[in-house]
Amino acid sequence: MLELHQVHKTYATPQGPLKVLEDVSLRLAAGQSLALMGESGSGKSTLLHLAAGIDLPDQGAITLEDQNVASLAEPARAKLRREQLGLVFQQFHLVPSLTVIDNLRLQARLAKRDDADWSGYLIERLGLTGMEKRYPEQLSGGQQQRLAIGRALAPRPSLLLADEPTGNLDETTAGKVLELLLSLVRETHCALLVVTHSPQVAAPLDRCLRLSHGRLLDAAP
Amino acid sequence: MTRVLSTLLSHYRRHPGQLVMLLLGLWVASALWSGIQAINATARDSYARADALFDTQLDQLERRDGAPLTRGEYYALRQAGLPVSPMLEGEVVTQAGTRLTLIGIDPLTLSSDNAMAQANTSASLSDFLTPPWQTRAAPDALAALGVARENASGATPTLADGNTLPPLVLAPALPPDTLIMDISAAARLLESGDEITRIVAAPWALAEAPSGFILTRATTLASPGQLTESFHLNLTALGLLAWVVGLFIVQAALGLALEQRLGMLRTLRVLGVSGRSLVVALCLELILLGLIGALAGIASGVWLARVLLPDVAATLGSLYGAGVGQELNLPWHYWVGGLAVSLGGLLLAGSGVLWRAARLNMLELGQMQAWRGGYRRQLTLMSISGALALSVALALYGWLRFQPPGDGLVAGFGLIAALLLASALWLPPFLALVLKVLTHLAQRRPLIHWAMADMQLQLPRLSLAMMALLIALATNLGVGSMVGGFRLTFLDWLDQRLVAPLYLNAPSEQYADIDVWLADRPEVFERLLTRRSDATLQATITPDGSRALGTPIELYGITPGESLTPHWPLLAIQQDRSSAWAAFSDGAIFVNEQLATAENLAPGDRLTLSAPGANETLTIAAIYPDYGNPRGQVLMASPQLAARFNAPPSSMGLVLNDNANVDAMRAALRERFDLGSDALSDQAEIKRIATEIFERTFTITRALNVLTLAVAALALFASLLAQARNRRQQLAPLWALGVPRAQLAQLNLAQLGGAALVTGLLAVPLGIAITWGLVAIINVAAFGWRLPLYLFPWEMAITLATAVGVALLAAALPTLRFWRASPRALLAEEANQ
Repeated sequence: MLELHQVHKTYATPQGPLKVLEDVSLRLAAGQSLALMGESGSGKSTLLHLAAGIDLPDQGAITLEDQNVASLAEPARAKLRREQLGLVFQQFHLVPSLTVIDNLRLQARLAKRDDADWSGYLIERLGLTGMEKRYPEQLSGGQQQRLAIGRALAPRPSLLLADEPTGNLDETTAGKVLELLLSLVRETHCALLVVTHSPQVAAPLDRCLRLSHGRLLDAAP
Repeated sequence: MTRVLSTLLSHYRRHPGQLVMLLLGLWVASALWSGIQAINATARDSYARADALFDTQLDQLERRDGAPLTRGEYYALRQAGLPVSPMLEGEVVTQAGTRLTLIGIDPLTLSSDNAMAQANTSASLSDFLTPPWQTRAAPDALAALGVARENASGATPTLADGNTLPPLVLAPALPPDTLIMDISAAARLLESGDEITRIVAAPWALAEAPSGFILTRATTLASPGQLTESFHLNLTALGLLAWVVGLFIVQAALGLALEQRLGMLRTLRVLGVSGRSLVVALCLELILLGLIGALAGIASGVWLARVLLPDVAATLGSLYGAGVGQELNLPWHYWVGGLAVSLGGLLLAGSGVLWRAARLNMLELGQMQAWRGGYRRQLTLMSISGALALSVALALYGWLRFQPPGDGLVAGFGLIAALLLASALWLPPFLALVLKVLTHLAQRRPLIHWAMADMQLQLPRLSLAMMALLIALATNLGVGSMVGGFRLTFLDWLDQRLVAPLYLNAPSEQYADIDVWLADRPEVFERLLTRRSDATLQATITPDGSRALGTPIELYGITPGESLTPHWPLLAIQQDRSSAWAAFSDGAIFVNEQLATAENLAPGDRLTLSAPGANETLTIAAIYPDYGNPRGQVLMASPQLAARFNAPPSSMGLVLNDNANVDAMRAALRERFDLGSDALSDQAEIKRIATEIFERTFTITRALNVLTLAVAALALFASLLAQARNRRQQLAPLWALGVPRAQLAQLNLAQLGGAALVTGLLAVPLGIAITWGLVAIINVAAFGWRLPLYLFPWEMAITLATAVGVALLAAALPTLRFWRASPRALLAEEANQ
């Protein structure tokens, strides 16, 4: 499903080169869930961006569904993202100009996998029934994150990447959103990679890896 | 307060683009407005000086038979006890080639109320009257004379003909292109012999015209200020337009700066700053920025005026014969006014921002929902205001329909302004409606659906720039079509009137001999002799009755030969062209459109003109176009003009047979009659000069037009630049969801290009309406003639291309920045939203 092999990433900063990831290798099989934990600045989000093809590694290989992401051109990586991946961000990244239902179906439509029944089911499961015509800013934080999860799952991706999915929510809401996320992931049989610093988020997942100063502390895979 | 103000201003440290946009708007608005006002102020100063001198302050006498006045006639009038004064007027050419008007006066008999007479204090009167005499000149005339100001007093500049002027004395009250001296000194320089140009008297000093003379009262003479009023109104209108467009940028920048600072305002309120203090701090910020922008604008405006003034002076000189100084002469109120207009405009543009800041609950600020609702209300308000502006336009149109032709210059401009305003106000609601429909239609095309929905979100920030673009495009198209139409009409008119390949301008006494000589030349097909004179239109006799007037008019005599009459353009005739020309040859007259419009005349009406001996009453057979002539003109057959008005010959067109050699004819004429090199002009040369004058006339219009469009492009560019960061935040999630960056960049360009295309499409009918207003209302009111409405599909296509081009250009930089932004930066920006 997803494999990172000896991945390195360095950013140029005004203070000089900053090593963000160093010799990172990991593997995630289909249907598995993995939590990647670490403190702020440990390189978690960068790893997630590399896995999604949003950014490219300086060295190493990233294989997703038997394709080397690093060797793909931008359009091909974009195609991979819209067809194979679901992305959930801490800041939701909803499109403010689209209504709830249009936001939810956006990626599925882009991937030409729009399924009205599935979208309707997701709306119901996400507890957004009756809010379809609202705009994102008219929802609460928890509702916005649920909508972001729905949008990521609408095209039925093979891998869901979530970056601090509950980081912006209070404890109660976070618990409910996480529960919903895991339940839907199980229903869709997609793999899940969650970047988090919260042990509560990591606990229910199949595996947990720690990242510190750009290196994986636990033995990989 | 200082702390609050510095906190508010700190926003611009993080968003320098907004500060640049704000200052840019203020700068261009203020620069164009103050530049035009500087030109107007200088021109008005020149007119005031000319007015104060002679033309409109003195009654004038001329001989009833139109013959030149002589000193003998002046002496006779003085001996009869009449309080008149002689005046001699002519042109001198400086060594730099500039033509200056030289006026010789007799200060002892000139009305003491006159500016010139007042300038002659007793201390200098004897110097003025006796050799070596004095030349009085305005400081702005020194450059033409090649004299430095510090050496001016007592200098004796040499003229092109080798003569020297009497010692110079500076007289700032004089017009810029005029020299004044004693009549005896002027007579020597002008070699005028016994002739004088005018006999003048103080207003109403003469109860009636002496026998054999026509008396023209000062009040019936049009001053340069009156003649050029429409030109300056036109300039002011264009300046106002640029000012409004500039303020659009300001308002867009202020709105954006407020929107992005709502969080900061809320925080300040939470920290204990009162709402009133915040508003005061925002006001102070506005004034501070306003002062910087206005001062920079006024400085640039003065520079712009210096650049444009020579063209404006040439235009006013060629169109109206009004002399305008080439150096700026700005009164104190210009500077204060410029500052006040800039700051007033800023406060006007910022009033909405202050109102929102004062009125909204700070704890609710920043919520997109409140903002979305607010914008919907704003669209409704815009629709209602647009409807009101259209009602004003319709009311003005209705009013103008009932006005006599030639009236309603200000109302005409008002009609155009109301139309522009209505269209601009309706643009955002219209675009919103179009986008809503398209969003609905594009449900199954996710990217297009997103693009349309996203455009709706962008609209509030772009609407002001789009409104500015609409106004600029429509004005550009409207004025461009008017000028283009005028150009076609003018060139066509020149072709129709200039039928002879060779034109002769000889001294009037030579024409009889030349005519006899030419009559025997086999290569000459036809001799088209013209004559000119002046007369007073005493009365009009129309089906509505008789009306007494006292209007000075021109008389122009032509030879209605077979070369000229088939081409001569006629606008209105009673039956057909051949009947009109037959009547003309039998003694009927044609009148120019200006006169027909001013006095509401039609073919069949009759005019009573002052003529030597007795008045002549003549029937109008047709009305003809006479573009560029500010005066009313009566056309009659050359022999009739000679017989009835003693008009001297003024020129002769020579129509030659096909095989004739023009150069040989020219050489033969020169040799036989000892003619000067400028006595013979060929048709192409006359057309070239006329076209050159025409092109120069519209240089300033074109320049302002292009500047206004440039300002609108800047408005759009600045709006897009100011929200570029915001745009990247909007595009980043889509890119993360798998839409390739190239596609997003293309979409971004297509969104703006599409909106600009719609704006351009709306600008086309609006531009046509403006052209119509200019040719059918404003031109008639300003000049007395109407132009045919020409439409130029190619120019419309260019307008559309310009609209799209401007938008794409403006969108290119933000798009490029999106294209080049690192993925991490894109998502980080989104995260920081």
